[in-house]
Amino acid sequence: MKALILAGGKSSRMGREKSQIILAGKSLLQRTIDLITPHTEDIFLSIAHDDERDHPLPTLRDLEPSPGPLGGLQAAFAHDPDSSWLLIACDLPKLSAPDLESLVAANLKDVSCFRNPLDDHPEPLCAIYAPSSAPQLQEVIAENRRCARRFIRTLERTELTPSDPQALLNLNRPEHLTELEHLEAHGSVEKSVTVEYFAKLSQEADTTRETFSTTAATLTGLWEEVRLRHHFSLDLPHIKPAIDHEFAEWQTPLKNHDTIAFMPPFAGG
Amino acid sequence: MTPSLSCPPSPVDKFWLQDTTIDLPLLRREMDDPTCGAIVTFEGLVRNHHEGRDVSALSYSYHPLMAQKEGQKILETTLEKFPITHALAVHRVGDLGIGDLAVVTITASAHREAAFEANRYLIDEIKFCVPIWKYETYSSGESEWTAPCPGCSGRREIHTCDSKK
Repeated sequence: MKALILAGGKSSRMGREKSQIILAGKSLLQRTIDLITPHTEDIFLSIAHDDERDHPLPTLRDLEPSPGPLGGLQAAFAHDPDSSWLLIACDLPKLSAPDLESLVAANLKDVSCFRNPLDDHPEPLCAIYAPSSAPQLQEVIAENRRCARRFIRTLERTELTPSDPQALLNLNRPEHLTELEHLEAHGSVEKSVTVEYFAKLSQEADTTRETFSTTAATLTGLWEEVRLRHHFSLDLPHIKPAIDHEFAEWQTPLKNHDTIAFMPPFAGG
Repeated sequence: MTPSLSCPPSPVDKFWLQDTTIDLPLLRREMDDPTCGAIVTFEGLVRNHHEGRDVSALSYSYHPLMAQKEGQKILETTLEKFPITHALAVHRVGDLGIGDLAVVTITASAHREAAFEANRYLIDEIKFCVPIWKYETYSSGESEWTAPCPGCSGRREIHTCDSKK
């Protein structure tokens, strides 16, 4: 097995290159490399068509401009069509070594992947693709159907459940980093929370209130968890959170038995 | 604390939610004060259109604990921030028809400038910071929770309901 790390480009939402973000003293790229190293020595970094910078790893260049993550996989099979390839995003800081071990050990059909417990979809950017997936990949790229989530669903899959429900949470916003820093500092702590939804959110969740157990550390982690679970159409910047009926910051840590309100944009007057 | 859904006995210097018709002349009389030479009243009415669609009816829902509390905070901040004598604000909730009064803010001061400025601040802050939502029904028969349009949201830069405050 060989591995290709998707380090992305500049993240507009994070405001900087994700792979260089430091979490607990280590860049996200280095964390990903360390996670993969026990399983393969052939680790490549996926880079853009026109990237001329120096990189700490061997690189595989996209064959064309902006092909999306499937373009990375295309470049991987172009480099070695007979190897299976671990395609992995560098912004999955909660992915654990035992989880990756079980992925590598799984019986490989076209692809071995995790079913993300938060949204119940197979995750394409932390998956091992067998050479048998390459013809299907060529087909979707030729037809310009480049959605990785759709692509993976067309393959014969071995699906695993990660040990932590939040294992595949990806880092897209500065608030997410605070969530992860809390988890690094305090570990995954189960707590019971009651969450109230209002207006459009209660319509989409089909409930106004639910009590459940979560390992999220801050309001951000909890929002991402319920956003995926209920397929909310609104994203974090549009939501106003409150704890025990007071407006709160996204970085606020959760406590056992908190009552959280997630509120869509106000529309009084 | 459950919010009162009718006009309080002494409405001056209060914010409240109401699920019955707002009695504007009554509120205006309550604000009479011999030291005030200026009274500014803002009336927010239910419009028959939203972002190009014909609205036939709407319903306001609210956070049962936070709407009252945040509204009263805003009213008190307005009284502190501007040299005004009194203020009040009421927001309708529940089902409303086109032309119904949805929100009223009244500010009273010795001279007109403070009453005007305070009123603008008060209504803008209520729109931004009080957890109230609007469910609109359109003449097409469709209905949905609506997001505030740019014309609704007014002066963004004074948005102050962040918990940092």
